[in-house]
Amino acid sequence: MATEVDDTLKRIQAHKGVVGTIVITGDGVPIKSTLDNTTTVQYTALLTQLCDRARTAVRDLDPTNDLTFLRLRSKKNEIMIAPDKEFVLIVIQAPAE
Amino acid sequence: MSDRKAELEKKKAKLQAIREEKERRRREKEQRDAEEAALRTPNPDKDQKKVDEMLSSLGIAPVSDVLSSLSSVPTIGSSDVSSSTATPDSSLLPTQPQTGRKKPAQLQVVSVQSTSIPPKETVTYTKQTQTTHTSNERDGYCEDWFRPRKAQAFGYYDEYNLNPGLEWEDEFTVLTYDDPQAEDDSLPSLLDGGGGFGSKLPPGILPHGLPKVKEMEPAVTTVEPETKKDVKTIRELSEDEKMMIILSEDFQRFVDRSGRIMERALSEAVDICTDYTGTADADDVGDERLNGKLVVSRWFSDERWSKTRCVTSLDWSPQYPELLVASYHTSHESAHDPDGVCLVWNTKFKKTTPEYVFHCQSIVLTATFAKFHPNLILGGTYSGQVMLWDNRVQKRTPIQRTPLSATAHTHPVYCMRVVGTQNAHNLISISTDGRLCSWSLDMLSQPQETLELQQRQSKAIAVTSLDFPHNDVNNFVFGSEEGTVYSACRHGTKAGVTDPYLGHQAPVTDINTHKVQGPVDYSHLFLTSSFDWSVKLWNMKESRPVYSWEEGCDYVYGVSWSPVHPAVFASVDGDGRLALWNLNQDAEIPSASTVVEGAPALNRVSFTPTGSHVTVGDDSGKIYLYDVGERFSQPRHDEWNKLLVTLQEMKNNQADEEVSSPASGPSSLSSFVSR
Repeated sequence: MATEVDDTLKRIQAHKGVVGTIVITGDGVPIKSTLDNTTTVQYTALLTQLCDRARTAVRDLDPTNDLTFLRLRSKKNEIMIAPDKEFVLIVIQAPAE
Repeated sequence: MSDRKAELEKKKAKLQAIREEKERRRREKEQRDAEEAALRTPNPDKDQKKVDEMLSSLGIAPVSDVLSSLSSVPTIGSSDVSSSTATPDSSLLPTQPQTGRKKPAQLQVVSVQSTSIPPKETVTYTKQTQTTHTSNERDGYCEDWFRPRKAQAFGYYDEYNLNPGLEWEDEFTVLTYDDPQAEDDSLPSLLDGGGGFGSKLPPGILPHGLPKVKEMEPAVTTVEPETKKDVKTIRELSEDEKMMIILSEDFQRFVDRSGRIMERALSEAVDICTDYTGTADADDVGDERLNGKLVVSRWFSDERWSKTRCVTSLDWSPQYPELLVASYHTSHESAHDPDGVCLVWNTKFKKTTPEYVFHCQSIVLTATFAKFHPNLILGGTYSGQVMLWDNRVQKRTPIQRTPLSATAHTHPVYCMRVVGTQNAHNLISISTDGRLCSWSLDMLSQPQETLELQQRQSKAIAVTSLDFPHNDVNNFVFGSEEGTVYSACRHGTKAGVTDPYLGHQAPVTDINTHKVQGPVDYSHLFLTSSFDWSVKLWNMKESRPVYSWEEGCDYVYGVSWSPVHPAVFASVDGDGRLALWNLNQDAEIPSASTVVEGAPALNRVSFTPTGSHVTVGDDSGKIYLYDVGERFSQPRHDEWNKLLVTLQEMKNNQADEEVSSPASGPSSLSSFVSR
């Protein structure tokens, strides 16, 4: 089963334009990453906060609601965050040419 | 009794003492308030000595010391009092003029004021904290639990707070350890805590060095170790722990789900930042579609699961029309992988990987969605077992399978259908020994009923394909290995084979009934394809084909009616040719035809439920999705009547052919060749 996890992540990483993939726990601890350590820690720390805020916002607006996907489009790249109950999947994608 | 009385007396006395003590403390406090105020009165020298006396009696440094220790001595005039609002203790302003004027009445006046002050204090306090610590406060509310405290704690130190006790009770109870007087009553402790305002006073005013300030600091610093701890735990996750998490089922489920979402998001090619003010490329694909040409829009293939495996069947989900289930034959190259594979593809999202992967140990010859159960997928296998997969379960192997026993199938199952209604439906499967089994999906341990499909000499029929007419659960048609097509019924007095349809000279590969609803009912029509290079159109009421298309030059493996257009069907052959026919347009030659790149043998063809695309599966595990022109996917309302005319013409031609059969054959052939 662990290979399926690897397969999935590999597949995502193999996607055109994908710069990095990070899997973290809900507390912001990186489990898997394709980026180097410092970058991973930096992304993790910042995006965990962002994700928490976003989730708070969504839940405050409607307590029965929850955040399912966060897509952050910037000039240089796009960060996609798929938060779950216990884990968060982060993918950084450079824009398609 | 007297002892008791004495004891009571004692207690009374003690109470009295406590009360006095309280009173004394209150007065002290008031005095200190007054003294504070006095510090800011225009001429404090007058009262200085008295105040000094009082203070020294309380063990507090004389005011002069305080004044000297103050960086800026307030030597402002009474008219400037209002300007002193800038100082944090503006809350005390109301008391100032009076205390300045009436010294003897001080006690009484202040005592009255002391009752009126607290509400005022709280109001001004909050106002002040809001103005001076706006950012802190705001952050604090959004931050974790400790932040607001921290912010307020700072505010407390900065602020001159007369009534701080209420919120900070827990903190001040800590102080009581060092304050022996406070032990007998909580109020003194509060007041002492109220002495916390003393902490605001410059250092010189705290002569007996009560550890108030020192004690309060830990309350703030306790926060920091915790954050530090957090940071530590973030670093601490070891490789083993990571492995544990990765191997946990929760994690795998998460990756499965999130990975799917992520892939969809990634493959969404739409650039929402498109700027139309720039130069735009002309889009000429639309023209081709209008012309009715077949354009490959995409193809599905999986490196591991579908490569080198022949596509054995295609089926669409009734609930989610974008989902396509395809079953695959075994692969000769990957001997370690399971023989049978079923992949669920998604035609909506442009992701290139299958939505779900299912497999089993026997070759899957046919697969179908369970029609009324959106999560279930059924597969008929070479071993004769029917497999049941569930996409809600985190496993790829079947969750249920029918037994391999004499009561069920013991021969390969090449065809299956789910028929019936939501509340009463059955899975019908036929194996090549001619046995039909009808199953309830709730109980796959044994078939609900079985039926032997036999020819007249009680010879079993090797069934290769099966289809039910639209909305019929009893009658059905099936093709056999020897080339004959039969109709049969499941129930009634003559359950079993009813009529043979003679025409094909070789095994029938596919059979498809007309399912488009419209003004005219054509549900008695069906198409068959065969190894004899022909596609034949049949009417269930006639034992001879209505029409036969024989212009192909290879086995015809698949045929399928359009689900929306009454006169359109598609066929695929072993040459890699996909042909689209519109009987109303041209009954003899395909209206559109294309050869799939590389000319692989095409084994299966199926229209999407909307009729706007057609999918073909080849022998190397690739499924191609073709765009179908509007002419084929959007029928005009007169198409049904036109088809009636076309069929009549075909019948007339047939009659002519019987008269002079050699003449018409070459003519139709030449018309094909000339094209």
